[in-house]
Amino acid sequence: MDHLTRLENKSIYIIREAYYQFKDIAMLWSVGKDSTTLLWLCRKAFFGHIPFPIIHIDTSYKFPEMYQFRDARAKEWNLNLLIGRNEEKLKEGMGPGQGSKLDCCNELKTNALKSVIKKYHLKAILLGIRRDEHGIRAKERYFSPRDSQFKWDYENQPAELWDQYQSTVEGEEHFRIHPILHFTEFDVWSYVQREGLPIVSLYFSKNGKRFRSIGCVPCCSPIDSNAQTIDEIVEEIRISKTSERSGRAQDKENIYTMQKLRALGYM
Amino acid sequence: MKKALIIGIDGVPYSLLSTYIKNDVMPNLKKILSQGFTLHQTNASIPDISSVSWTSFNTGVNPGEHGIYGFTDLKPDSYSLYFPNSKDIKAPTFWEILGKTNQKPSTLFQKYHKKISHPYRSVIFNVPHTYPAWPMNGILVSGFVAIDLKKATFPDSTYTYLHSMNYLIDVEAEKAKEDKMEFMKSLFECFEIRKKAISHFFVGEPWDLFFACITETDRLHHFFFDASNDKENPYYESFLRFYVELDKFIKYLYEQFVERYSEKGFFMILSDHGFAPVKKEVYINKFLEEKGLLALKNEGNFYERVENKTKAFNLDPCRIYIHGTDAYPRGTVREEEKTDLLEEIKKILRTLKGENGDEVIDKIFEKEEIYHGPHTRMAPDLVCLPKDGYDLKGSLEKKEIFGYNIFKGMHTWHDAFCILPSNISFSKKPSVEELTDYIIQYYSQ
Repeated sequence: MDHLTRLENKSIYIIREAYYQFKDIAMLWSVGKDSTTLLWLCRKAFFGHIPFPIIHIDTSYKFPEMYQFRDARAKEWNLNLLIGRNEEKLKEGMGPGQGSKLDCCNELKTNALKSVIKKYHLKAILLGIRRDEHGIRAKERYFSPRDSQFKWDYENQPAELWDQYQSTVEGEEHFRIHPILHFTEFDVWSYVQREGLPIVSLYFSKNGKRFRSIGCVPCCSPIDSNAQTIDEIVEEIRISKTSERSGRAQDKENIYTMQKLRALGYM
Repeated sequence: MKKALIIGIDGVPYSLLSTYIKNDVMPNLKKILSQGFTLHQTNASIPDISSVSWTSFNTGVNPGEHGIYGFTDLKPDSYSLYFPNSKDIKAPTFWEILGKTNQKPSTLFQKYHKKISHPYRSVIFNVPHTYPAWPMNGILVSGFVAIDLKKATFPDSTYTYLHSMNYLIDVEAEKAKEDKMEFMKSLFECFEIRKKAISHFFVGEPWDLFFACITETDRLHHFFFDASNDKENPYYESFLRFYVELDKFIKYLYEQFVERYSEKGFFMILSDHGFAPVKKEVYINKFLEEKGLLALKNEGNFYERVENKTKAFNLDPCRIYIHGTDAYPRGTVREEEKTDLLEEIKKILRTLKGENGDEVIDKIFEKEEIYHGPHTRMAPDLVCLPKDGYDLKGSLEKKEIFGYNIFKGMHTWHDAFCILPSNISFSKKPSVEELTDYIIQYYSQ
């Protein structure tokens, strides 16, 4: 069995296991390459008909290409798409120009997700995070319990050896399940290439620049690149030494530092 | 055999400590003072922020030499904000000088390095602005703003122990907003864990110098300082109880120390700044904006919003930077205009008045007056100290000059303290970085 098939099998096993354990489950789709890969794997896991809803947290600041892509795929793949927006804060004018980016992310992403989870009584969410994305994610498990404040007790987690996943713990509010945790950025692109998976056009080079990581318009900057096709991106990633999220505005440790300083009245 | 015990207590004011000693809230400390120690009032670093003040104490030099001016700073020739950490400290700490592991120069190092006969081993515990932890002769557990315990510990075995005992780096100050009662409880819990961890290293590790900081006091003061002397305040008893517990812990450490090393050891206690009740927060950037000295655009992160026509801007708490052509991409103030502009800003700042017409700004320093050394290029052009009660802030998002927050206490520069052996005396009030000399002196005799 080749490398990508092995990765795919493991992901599909986890997706099916998760669906078996939790009736009230949904998948979080950011429309980026990772969660689109996860979406593709979910379709494969259930032979094209995903038996649970797909959530898109809409900050209203996403790229137009992302909205187009989202709606086109939702129609084509017959998705049960739920849109989560923090309408109250959006009405108040919350955005990256108003206040800090930290507050903006917190309100438009985290709190929007909190209310979706509450509204639909979700017990588990599938997410397309990967272990090599960021230092803190290296500690993630495939099945990761969170409390109602979204707190993750990363120092107290089951070992998950030999494909044994613990899907119940005391006092948990919901589970986060990470079926593509074992994919690297390079694996994702190789998989996209092998499967011929559609992907948002922002990832392809225009005028010498492309996005390596996408999110909200004001917080993403493109990298220098001439990769105009999936094959060229795969080759670029293979030889790249810079961090994938180097075009992103904030790094996790900085966010925590800022939170700590703010709690004491600085900044 | 030389042994030193240093206890740091973050944000404890000289005035409050004297009162609590007098009122018998802290009988053990009173007893210690009667055994050959003297309580002095000291000045904090300028600005009076923990990261700067502790770094000044840790290195025994001023920010012009150690390069730390606040919890936040701007990267050279840019508007991008970063958080200086231990890697940005340009001078050696006293434990590096004593441990003979330092690679950096400083005036303190020049003065003493030939007089230290052999390397001394230290335990440095929970001292602010020592994150990430770095290799040294002994054990280092970083304090505020430490994020990841693994990166906050040297060597790895230290992590293993702290991890196993569920060590807490800090209380979650975010909680104070939601539930003050619960937050008060967590301060005591955090202090318990801190004491347990400190005792573990104090008793179980070989060391020549032991330096531990208690940081819960600073958090207690930020959120409950109004309770310190007000019997009607619902948190009055808890506030006092914290000091009673602190007094007991100081006694425990001191007695253990004396028992092991008799009276020949060197013992000191100090704080990095004082505290006073807050009347109002003062948003200096909003003031500069109203005076036509600062213009901000809507896009960008923090100081990236600074527009061309800006003449000056402020970083927490009151570090004012001139928007010079030599230092910033969009800077417009030419070198020859600076002197006049500084005078103008000083004059304007002195017009800042509170509700009753009382003065807000107490002291204004130009950088040449307070900073000396090779790292003054990054120093603020002006630093202001407020009158007690007016907490100066660097926020860029305020719509008014004055405001309120949930905080009940603010840092003060003039009211820090130290307790030193009584044979040490000062002709004038010392500042925190002058105290370090006495530690190294002890080891060089």
